[in-house]
Amino acid sequence: MRTRMKLGAIAMTVAGLVVATGSFPATATTEPVGTDGEDTTEGTAAAGEAVTFEPGLEFTSILLPKFTGIAVFDQANEGAQEAAAELGTTPAEFLGPTVDNSIDGQIEIVTNAATQGVDAVMISNNAGDQIEPAVQAATEAGVHIVTWDSPIPSGEGEDVFVAQVDFDETGQVMADMSRNILGDDGGQMAILSASPDAANQNAWIEAFNEVMAGDEYSDIEIVDTVYGNDATEESYNQALALVDQYPDLELIMSPTTVGIAAAAKAMQDEGLCEQVKVSGLGLPDEMREYNESGCAPEFALWSFVDLGYLTYYVTYGIATDQIAAEEGVTFNAGRMGTYTIEADPTRDNGLRVLMGPFTVYTADNIGDTAEPTGTDAAGTEATATTTG
Amino acid sequence: MTTTTPDRSLVPSRLVDPRDLVRRHPWEALLLAILAGTIVYNVAESTNYLGVDNLVNLFQLSIEKVIVAVMMTFVIVAGEIDLSVASTMGLSAAVLAKLHEGGSVPFALALVFAIAVGTVAGLVQGWCIAKLGLPSLVVTLAGLIGLRGAARVFVEDQSIGDFPDWFDRLGQQDVVGPLTLALIVFFVGIAAAGVILGRSALGRRMYVLGDNADVARYAGVNVDGMRIWLFAVSGTVAAFAGVLYAASHGSVRGDLAEGFELDIITMVLLGGVSIFGGSGTMVGVGLAILIVLNLRNGLGLANVDSNTQTGIIGVILIVSVIARNTLDRLRTRWDRLAPIETGGDLVTSTIGSAS
Repeated sequence: MRTRMKLGAIAMTVAGLVVATGSFPATATTEPVGTDGEDTTEGTAAAGEAVTFEPGLEFTSILLPKFTGIAVFDQANEGAQEAAAELGTTPAEFLGPTVDNSIDGQIEIVTNAATQGVDAVMISNNAGDQIEPAVQAATEAGVHIVTWDSPIPSGEGEDVFVAQVDFDETGQVMADMSRNILGDDGGQMAILSASPDAANQNAWIEAFNEVMAGDEYSDIEIVDTVYGNDATEESYNQALALVDQYPDLELIMSPTTVGIAAAAKAMQDEGLCEQVKVSGLGLPDEMREYNESGCAPEFALWSFVDLGYLTYYVTYGIATDQIAAEEGVTFNAGRMGTYTIEADPTRDNGLRVLMGPFTVYTADNIGDTAEPTGTDAAGTEATATTTG
Repeated sequence: MTTTTPDRSLVPSRLVDPRDLVRRHPWEALLLAILAGTIVYNVAESTNYLGVDNLVNLFQLSIEKVIVAVMMTFVIVAGEIDLSVASTMGLSAAVLAKLHEGGSVPFALALVFAIAVGTVAGLVQGWCIAKLGLPSLVVTLAGLIGLRGAARVFVEDQSIGDFPDWFDRLGQQDVVGPLTLALIVFFVGIAAAGVILGRSALGRRMYVLGDNADVARYAGVNVDGMRIWLFAVSGTVAAFAGVLYAASHGSVRGDLAEGFELDIITMVLLGGVSIFGGSGTMVGVGLAILIVLNLRNGLGLANVDSNTQTGIIGVILIVSVIARNTLDRLRTRWDRLAPIETGGDLVTSTIGSAS
């Protein structure tokens, strides 16, 4: 594992060099970080230009997922560790609650973080607005709060949200996949979500419902939205219950990696894959089997490794006072290029850094994806069909 | 074995020989040792542990659970169990949120309703147990499922918040010194509960009831009435804890406090209360609460992950139960083998402490 990561790091560096020399149509000017200290500081001085972070500053942080034991969060941690190594600073503590104690566990960890006096907590919020009192107390104690994957709905107490993809775009991507799977004659479909209070899930479902309300999708009927709470067994049972309740159901759309895998397994176990397809947001590694069996012909995701990497960069910049969490601030995030902090259109009172883009996986590109160790994420994006 | 030799109670000195304390309260002594170990570990592990803010947080993070645990002690001492407490918490908070969201009910009235829901749920369950003779395990298991279902129906799949500012403040901010309202309620509650259980006629009747309900009945204890009221109060306290939870978190979901009943019962059992009823002390439960909270806090500050924390608490529970068993057996043997030596010890210790 370690060897592979080391190899990956080398591959990464090579990829970075390739991008820097212009062989790829890079989306932004990417400067190698940490190799040329003097240029870096000059960059900081110029107003309006992208800030390249000075590495090696003291920075302690906690990376707090919704809960531990889920592959995507481990991947985000890999990305964060990679960024910490590049920036030459203390790696983030990867701490999360158990699945059945997610809300109180997250609140407890944020509260303890304030007591410990860490510089920042990076949180994928699963507690909705219930996290607010704890976050506010932490902010008052001088802890920076950056959210990733799932924001604080009210935006209170949060510096910035690192959005994996544009939440409205998620709706369009899911609508496109629905159309591709159901064909021109449409049909009945249902949504299997995680927990009812996961801000990201709700925003995606809302965006999806909005797109589906359009005339061009009038032949597709969304019959129900159910919640499997990101627990495999619960999601599995919810998927089966959907099939029982709606005999004409043709598609289960699950915008969560746990839900989509559980639903696909349920359909496969019951031999229902011919009638009911599964789609949504899934990890290629977990979905390969169901893709091959035809249960899940099409699904989408972004790189969680990149999400962790970008989150660590922006948090480091904010907590070490190299950038402010304000609209219009631009910074360099190592191998990923330049990003800008902007107003979050999906929330009234929030800032975001938008990562993107989506990768839609089909039988054509799922085989190309090596095990996502975080090293070949760039390669994945190059070979896969990207939308938006 | 509640018989104490008269010479012990006649000891004039207020100072107690630690050896005597260990002999009479081996369980509490063991808990005290575990607590001391935990605190030493925490102090060594984290410089932030002893801060006032942290010591308040340590309670505040689990305050709803420990308030219910105090009431649960009475229920288990009386030989019953109440599995429905967490669901009652969820339902009362859901009723509060739903009435508040509707907007037509004044908030104060909604609070009264929310707590009354818990009382009624407790009364109904108590009635089934006392009058229909059903085991409390079954009745409150049904309560656990049914009340949770009702809470989910009320709140549906959303979270309801936007409570009045004073309500949120009361749940989140300090009222006296660094203490929040919930903390004050807990400290006052556990002191009062200790007196009631240990020093009052009501407390003695609870022990008798838990030890042997038939004996209690022949002794003139109103067994049915006591059981009904026990569950009514348990429901009320749980409902109150649910409202506190809503205030401290600022919003309510259908799954609020789900699974808390096991943590609560764990604390009571770790406190040395027999699951069969009739024995246990509030001091023991208080120590067990301190152990669990300090352990979680210390492990959290040491960045130990949640799964490991849960595992460690499980190990402590099982080790304590085994240790208790062994201690009880040793004590019986000791008392039988060396009664004279025991008396001698007492005399010398009395003299020693008086000088």
